[in-house]
Amino acid sequence: MKKSNDHGKYKYGMVIDIDKCTGCGTCMVACAAENNVAVRADQSDKERTITWMRLYKISNGKEFPHTEVSYFPRPCMHCDHHPPCVSVCVATATKLDFNTGIVSQIYTRCIGCRYCQAACPYGARYFNWWDVFPQDKGMDRYLTPEVSPRMRGVVEKCTFCHQRLMGAKTLAYAEDRQEIEEGEYVTACTEACPAQAITFGDLNNPEHEVSKLIKHPFTFRLLERIGTDPKVYYHSSRDWIRKLGDNFLPGEYTPVVNKTWAEEEWSTKPGRDEF
Amino acid sequence: MDSPLLPHGVKRCSTWAFFFWTLPWLALLAWGGLSAFLCLWKGLNQTNMSNIFAFALWIVFDLAIIALGAGAFFTGFLTYVMGQKELKNIIKPAVIIGFICYSGAIAMLGIDIGQPIRGWFIFWHANIHSMLVEVSFCITAYLMVLAIEFIPIILENRKLEEIKELRIFGHNLHEIMAVFAATGTFLSFFHQGSLGGMFGVMYARPFAAREGFYIWPWTFFLFVLSAIACGPCFTILCTKLTEFFARKKLVPDSAIQLLAKISAWLLSFYMVLKIFDYLGWMYGIVPRSGLTFESFFREGPYGVYLVVAEMIFCGILPAIILMTPKARQNQGLLITACLLNCTGIVLNRFLFIIVTLAIPVMPFDRFWSYLPTWQEWGIGMAVVGYGFLLFSAAYRYLPIFPKERELNPITE
Amino acid sequence: MKLTRRNFIAAVIGGVAGIQATPLPWKITDDIAIWTQNWPWVPVPSTGEFSDVSSVCNLCPGGCGIAVKKVDERAIKIEGRTDYPVNPGGVCPVGMGGLQLLYDESLRFTGPMKRVGLRGAGQFTEISWGEAFDMVAGRISGLRKKGTPEAIAAVDGNPEGTTVSVLIKRLMRAMGSPNYVRPPSINDTYRMGNLLMQGTLTPMAYDLENSDYVLSFGAGLLEGWGAPGRVMNAWGMWHDGNPAKKKTRIVQVESRASNTASKADMWVAPRPGTDGALALGIAHVIIKSGQYDSRFVSDHSSGFEDGRSLDGVNHIGFKTLVLEKYSPEQVAKITGVSPKTIVSLAKGFVSAKTPVAVYGKGKDSLNGSLYEFMAVQSLNALKGSINRSGGVLLPDPIPLSNLPLLEVDAVASKGLKTPRLDQAGTMRYPFSDSLINNFTEVIKKSSKSPVDTLLVFSANPFFTLPDGGGFKRALEKIPFIVSFSPYRDETANMAELILPDSTYLEKVDDIVWPTGLQYPLYGLSKPVVEPLYNTKNSGDTVIELSRAIDESVGSAFPWENFEEVLQVRAKGLFDAGGGLVSYDPDTPAWQRQTAGNGPKPEYESFDEMWEGIQSGGMWYRPVSSPRSWKGLFNTPSGKFEFSSKLIAQAIENYSNKISKKAALKNMGIAVTDDEACMAHYEAPKTGSDSSVYPLRMLPYEMINLASGWIPSPPFLYKTIFENQLLKDKSFAAINPKTAARYNLKEGALVAVKSPAGEVQVRINLSEGAMPGIVYLPLGFGHTAYDEFLKDKGVNPNNIVQAGQDPISGYPVWWDTPVKIVRV
Repeated sequence: MKKSNDHGKYKYGMVIDIDKCTGCGTCMVACAAENNVAVRADQSDKERTITWMRLYKISNGKEFPHTEVSYFPRPCMHCDHHPPCVSVCVATATKLDFNTGIVSQIYTRCIGCRYCQAACPYGARYFNWWDVFPQDKGMDRYLTPEVSPRMRGVVEKCTFCHQRLMGAKTLAYAEDRQEIEEGEYVTACTEACPAQAITFGDLNNPEHEVSKLIKHPFTFRLLERIGTDPKVYYHSSRDWIRKLGDNFLPGEYTPVVNKTWAEEEWSTKPGRDEF
Repeated sequence: MDSPLLPHGVKRCSTWAFFFWTLPWLALLAWGGLSAFLCLWKGLNQTNMSNIFAFALWIVFDLAIIALGAGAFFTGFLTYVMGQKELKNIIKPAVIIGFICYSGAIAMLGIDIGQPIRGWFIFWHANIHSMLVEVSFCITAYLMVLAIEFIPIILENRKLEEIKELRIFGHNLHEIMAVFAATGTFLSFFHQGSLGGMFGVMYARPFAAREGFYIWPWTFFLFVLSAIACGPCFTILCTKLTEFFARKKLVPDSAIQLLAKISAWLLSFYMVLKIFDYLGWMYGIVPRSGLTFESFFREGPYGVYLVVAEMIFCGILPAIILMTPKARQNQGLLITACLLNCTGIVLNRFLFIIVTLAIPVMPFDRFWSYLPTWQEWGIGMAVVGYGFLLFSAAYRYLPIFPKERELNPITE
Repeated sequence: MKLTRRNFIAAVIGGVAGIQATPLPWKITDDIAIWTQNWPWVPVPSTGEFSDVSSVCNLCPGGCGIAVKKVDERAIKIEGRTDYPVNPGGVCPVGMGGLQLLYDESLRFTGPMKRVGLRGAGQFTEISWGEAFDMVAGRISGLRKKGTPEAIAAVDGNPEGTTVSVLIKRLMRAMGSPNYVRPPSINDTYRMGNLLMQGTLTPMAYDLENSDYVLSFGAGLLEGWGAPGRVMNAWGMWHDGNPAKKKTRIVQVESRASNTASKADMWVAPRPGTDGALALGIAHVIIKSGQYDSRFVSDHSSGFEDGRSLDGVNHIGFKTLVLEKYSPEQVAKITGVSPKTIVSLAKGFVSAKTPVAVYGKGKDSLNGSLYEFMAVQSLNALKGSINRSGGVLLPDPIPLSNLPLLEVDAVASKGLKTPRLDQAGTMRYPFSDSLINNFTEVIKKSSKSPVDTLLVFSANPFFTLPDGGGFKRALEKIPFIVSFSPYRDETANMAELILPDSTYLEKVDDIVWPTGLQYPLYGLSKPVVEPLYNTKNSGDTVIELSRAIDESVGSAFPWENFEEVLQVRAKGLFDAGGGLVSYDPDTPAWQRQTAGNGPKPEYESFDEMWEGIQSGGMWYRPVSSPRSWKGLFNTPSGKFEFSSKLIAQAIENYSNKISKKAALKNMGIAVTDDEACMAHYEAPKTGSDSSVYPLRMLPYEMINLASGWIPSPPFLYKTIFENQLLKDKSFAAINPKTAARYNLKEGALVAVKSPAGEVQVRINLSEGAMPGIVYLPLGFGHTAYDEFLKDKGVNPNNIVQAGQDPISGYPVWWDTPVKIVRV
């Protein structure tokens, strides 16, 4: 099995700037609206509610008034190296598309064994525990025909809004173009973020903003050392946030100090300005 | 009432007594039937499983009974392939236990998956890289083998034996049993292993992840070994239980002792490897993921005591007891050791399933607790009920203990 | 070949065997597996022609541009517009989930309705519009015939200055009732403060995008203050590039580690309600160090230095007041903020080039304190940040035309002479124009409600007022309530009659100057879909209702429909000249344009302009150069007034009637009359025993929950954390130290009790909470709507014991004494 898609043509990925992220949750709502994600009456049941994009609230754990909170928006990481969920799927219902880097999910093939959920350390996969969309309330009227609503008993996940890639491609073909431009294909969360904290693009294309951002010393990924090679990157100038991105043994984490990037000096901050 | 169906020359309780005996097990089955109906009709929201506990009680049950059912293939292997004639005295109950365990496990899996109607996609859209596909193929094939092994035992029923065609058929089947035993061994070996592999390959879950040999993580081999180490013990336990209820001796001690001795060696060997496995994991995968051994045993009810119980009380201790001839000849100690051995393996499976999922990997993620619903217990208990029913019926109507007559001559 | 039995059997067997070799059985099985999943309750969304409709979101006064994606006639997604000046591309989560407010039928009234069940039970039966109009009009004309039109009252939640609210006010005048009240909002505080200090009537205009130091006193910049799409976009801009070289620094003054506080460059946590004192402490340091903008202070301000009035009395000035009473040490005692921090804040503020001090209280949907606002605005004045880029701008008011003068009939003019029930605008509350808490009190205390008929427009005061559930009790006394709400909210459930409005996606409506925006903007939201149900734009309802009442009232509304009124008002935009009706993201509206009147308009006639507004949804005038100082301040002194002459006058007027002491006391002032004219700090008068209620409760707002009268789209509950809401219980955030005092663990079930009532919540141990304060989220605890919103958590408003803000009389909702009792 080919383990990573270095040789694929495109490799879509995302950089989320935690300093810009305001924790407003618009990405989550945009994602749910774009992808016909089910809504149930009780959504405080975080173990079973479906949020392809999910905000995790984090804290520096310091005492008042030195406390800081922040957020990790967590879509599917679209792991590039041997995605943990893909190899375990019994029915080949999830695949890493080597040409785009997108980890897909085929709802009508999924048998609902949930092995992929067990294998994913990011909790990015969601099982449909219920039948949804009561039609008597008329809420099926806002469903988009571009994404099929899921039946109960199958697993679903973030697809990097694959339908948008299809749309962008269709448009490009219609205009007799071979390639789609940067920005023509972005995910719903990228587009919706009111603080422009999310950047989306082709990691294989050095001209794309994402390719530049990932070289930054403040850029990191979640659970990088496990080796899943996620295509979702995070960016923060605050040390405590970067440190929460992975597990570290005492003394293992080294702060980013005075590294140079793009001919500029960058230095790290322990957190917000002390006063 | 049913006396014409009973085997020749043995004593069985009255029909009424047997009827009352089956009632609690039928009740369990009814409970399970209701649970199954609810889960299939309303969906898995009837359980307390969640996106965190994607695998839960049922999978623990599955893995546990499949490990315990390993007595069937391993005894078969010893009897037919290795030619241990002594074990012919216990092979039939072993096969029946195996059949119960495997059929029960598959039935549970059918409810556990979200889309039972699509269960066959495992074969139709098989992903050959998935350990679970290997498990499914092997389990299904092996269940067929077990069924084939079970058929001649059924055909030994007094009434059925009167039919000539069936008798000949059963006899012929019996003749070629070695072939099936060998096939079963091969299949079992791989699915016991791939059940372990299922967890070892989850490389992004540091608690379960293991390195290994070629495509097989160490858990592959450890699961095989632990299954064949506890399978015979479970067979012994079931036999002893039957003897207890039947209030008579059914299997000669020599057979039991042989099984216990084999189990002792296997368990000892397993414990040595498992200790190395733990050490390798603690000093390899765990620190490489930025974690410590303790980080997996800090949350909720999951403490280091579980490992102590698994390794020392349910591992090394029974190994020592079974290894010592004097000790294993003592009925009480033998049963205790077998119980501990089986508990240890179940605990091992529990850790691999529950702790793997319960302890979040992302440092900012939180811990959730899980308690099964009555529906989940219902399905699990139904398998227990099914096991008791099938085994008691088999004991009542089939001559599954060849030495029973010899050991218990009827004196009129 | 002859069909024999033999070859028939052969054919059958061969056929069966042959089929096995084809993919047919497999294909059929595969298909069966898929078909069996086509359960009738898994919807298959219909497809069709895709289109985009540009409009403006009207769910909050922010008014962000939205593009609604449609498939045939179905709206399927809301997205932010990049061709709208307020929010370049983004909207807030409430706006993003707006389609659920359109399509969730159980949230809405599907037509005019009459109550059939008990009040509050939410049981209605549908009637025709004709019947509905007859019933309201009959009631109202009855009152008018009796000569008591003042017994009609209206609660109007539409933002001030919008055309529908102008029409409602007009209707009230035409009918003859002065009792038009509005739920409080931060804009009321801004309006009064600007009137007193600057003499301007323009909405607050903070030039955030051009500022390099944003000192926010309580404004929930990331909690939904102003236009969320705009503020969060600015936030993103501020954080572009190298953080070490970041141009803009953000300081948040707030007692809780909110998102804004956490994400800011610096967080300062004074005790709730002491923001004003902190601002004055900063002023002290600035004045003492002489680093204030002496040019602005000497040329364009008054009341800074001590002075002598015409009658020869000496009056202290702002400088003396601040130097005497607000040294960092004194302020530290009040606020709990260390003197060192106060000094460093002052240093940061004065050393910035274009700093701005922003005042707010969470979102903009609740009022603030007038003196706090004045203290913060004094800081802007000290630094000369008024009428300067990056500070507080003073643009001209939006040039909408006034509607023709209304001549009222005899009944109405008699009714209009009766005093307002809420006493707003009286000597006691000279600058307030609506005090709904007083209105509530009067009704609550009366034996027979002075209000006979209450009309409720775009408001849900039952739920949103911080009054300890007072409005609910007032509603119970009012004999006849008419709700114009599109949603089945708590207030509507108390109504006898529903004349449902269409939702914001089904009607035309205007958005006048989003809160805090630094340039005039007139937005027009338009119907994205045809009304789904038998609902009517409240603008049209008001016009039709006026005609149904009687000829005299009807004659006040000589327009065919609401859209015509919109055009009549918009005429002024054309006459004023100089506005744009389209937006190019490359030249943001906040970037200073060429000197003079800005870019040339893109239209030549009114019709052309109106067409432009309709298609683009906007008319705006980009930020222009600072205005000439001449005539800028319409205060009595013609300058920025640190010490307000209007307040001095008001105190004098009132003192002429009763004693000065009594006047000050009635106005809620506990200091001398000199001090009362300036920003100062007064400890709130709680009047409760701190040994019984040792803690304080502070409601807080979240961006991902609608806290105004709009229901939260169910999608938003996905974004709520499990330590904010779990099943039916919401959480109180308290500091672990406070929790330890009561031996409370995470998740413990407690009752939070105040003199006004009690609520049951769970405990969330939060290091970000100030010790001694109980923080309760606003927006939970609905008792109306459907299962997505109903009975989830508690509404902290129910236990708020609101005092009155000095002079303004607005509710002090941030200082409720409480205790915690374990359940």
